[in-house]
Amino acid sequence: MSYTAITFLVFLIITGTFYFLLPKKFRWGVLLASSFIFYYLNSGWLTIFLAATTISIYFSGILMARINDKFEVKKTGLSKEDRKKLKAKSEKQKKAIVAAALLINFGLLFLLKYFNFFGDGVNMLFSSLHISAKLTTFNWVMPLGISYYTLQSAGYLIDIYRGKIKAEKNLGRLALFVSFFPQIVEGPIGRYDKLAETLYEGHSFDYDRFRLGGQLMVWGFFKKMVIADRAAMLVNTVFSHYTHYSGLSVAIAVLLFTLQIYADFSGCMDIVTGVAQIFGVTLEANFRQPFFSKSVAEFWRRWHSTLGASMRDYIFYSISMSKPYRKFSKNTREKLNDHFGNLIPTAGALFFVWFGMGIWHGASLKYIIYGLYYYVFMMLGEAFKPLTEKLTVKLKININSKLFHLYQMLRTFVVVYFGMLIFRSHNIAVAWKLFISIFTGFSLHAVTNGSLLKLGLNGSDYILLFATFVLLTAVGTLKEKDFKIRELIAQRALIIRWSIYLVAIFALIIFGIYGKGYNVGTFIYGNF
Amino acid sequence: MEKLLAILKKIKPGADFEGSKNLIESGILDSFAIISLAAEISDEFDVEVTVRDILPENFSSPEAIMKMIEHLQDED
Repeated sequence: MSYTAITFLVFLIITGTFYFLLPKKFRWGVLLASSFIFYYLNSGWLTIFLAATTISIYFSGILMARINDKFEVKKTGLSKEDRKKLKAKSEKQKKAIVAAALLINFGLLFLLKYFNFFGDGVNMLFSSLHISAKLTTFNWVMPLGISYYTLQSAGYLIDIYRGKIKAEKNLGRLALFVSFFPQIVEGPIGRYDKLAETLYEGHSFDYDRFRLGGQLMVWGFFKKMVIADRAAMLVNTVFSHYTHYSGLSVAIAVLLFTLQIYADFSGCMDIVTGVAQIFGVTLEANFRQPFFSKSVAEFWRRWHSTLGASMRDYIFYSISMSKPYRKFSKNTREKLNDHFGNLIPTAGALFFVWFGMGIWHGASLKYIIYGLYYYVFMMLGEAFKPLTEKLTVKLKININSKLFHLYQMLRTFVVVYFGMLIFRSHNIAVAWKLFISIFTGFSLHAVTNGSLLKLGLNGSDYILLFATFVLLTAVGTLKEKDFKIRELIAQRALIIRWSIYLVAIFALIIFGIYGKGYNVGTFIYGNF
Repeated sequence: MEKLLAILKKIKPGADFEGSKNLIESGILDSFAIISLAAEISDEFDVEVTVRDILPENFSSPEAIMKMIEHLQDED
């Protein structure tokens, strides 16, 4: 059951009816039951993996809480020295628990998502060394949203270990935190301290929340069905038969893939954020007008930001703040100048972040290179920062001017554009071939000889996509200027308000792309 | 406090630390800067800033950072 299926709307109505009719204290239970039913309908017996993760993090959390309680009781009356010793002992025990739980959960993720990639790599190595042994690979089916809920669960455990949050004592409540149906498919990756309370509190029906959430859902459906799925028709044609295309066709395909993936992923986030809002649950924003970014680093703070924040908090800080790494950083700072003394240790820790960002997307070399591609640009930017700063001063460039900001946005877009080429290509060799072909096969004849109309889109599709691009840009610009568009629409007079709603709904029905049996295409990020 | 402000100015020259209410949200302190800052604080104040202390509320303003340092000094 996809978020864009009619059955999902029926599912929502049933969940909403039970949720708002039952007494407040049972309402989180309705969300839990719905979440597990949603998961079971999508994944069947694979629900067992979700349950295993929930149970493992529940008991690990409880064990850590017990160690904390014991420490609090025992520490009273102890000397400072003994208290420190006791604390060190408690920390060691908690570290063992968190390590074991992470090993179990990332072990499962590795087995189900990465084992074949690893196995193929090992087998290639064996064959190049003429070793006859062969690692058996399996054809596992991946449980829905495993990368998302594993990361969210790991965050929960690490936050308890770091003392940021207290362990949840109720297994059902924790299960809801892990499985909440609007976010299980492709995030946003939630933090326990921000999400838990709004999930567990029974919310009353609120018409304002309902219409604001509903508006966001319609906008999300529009992005997915009118924009993303339309752009996909050209993108799929070109990338599935990439040997037939070059030059402008490939350049347009990459451009439309950029539009597709943005509309697809942010559209899904709009739908699920809207659904959650109706139930009074606030999900973290995953997108904040990413194409307004003035640097690659800023782009990743605005694009899939909950993933970036998880990587920063759980990988970057874990590495860079560890004792041996701090020692290494200190030595580097002492030996090198301020700039490189700070840059090198940071770059070392960030390598793991970007490797993680890449491989999180999928088990293939292509995704690892995709992550490292951004890493290289970011590090080059940092390494040359003193030089570029000097240059802008020397050339008397006003770095606060609108023109300079536009240049920075365009520069960032070019990097993202070629990143999308890597992301969408079948593998890294194909990406390289297509990259070269954009330049070698470039000819403006494609515009006049009608070949652009043979890529899966007709003239009206191009016009519609261009119009929706203008609409997306206008909405993004308003949001960037802090306009609350949904609230503004809701405040209009009844006739204007409903005219907007009806136009949006009819636009969905008329311009939406429906496949066989009126099935909408699956969400791209749901595969990760 | 002056020692801390000197460190902050060394890490991010030209930034308005005293006038900013939220150093993280305003983008003055990014993760690069926080790592350098944690290292400098550890050296200058002889405390151990660990990963547990890297919380947005501990780095929101010079006062919050100072409070964290004092707390760490008390713990030692």
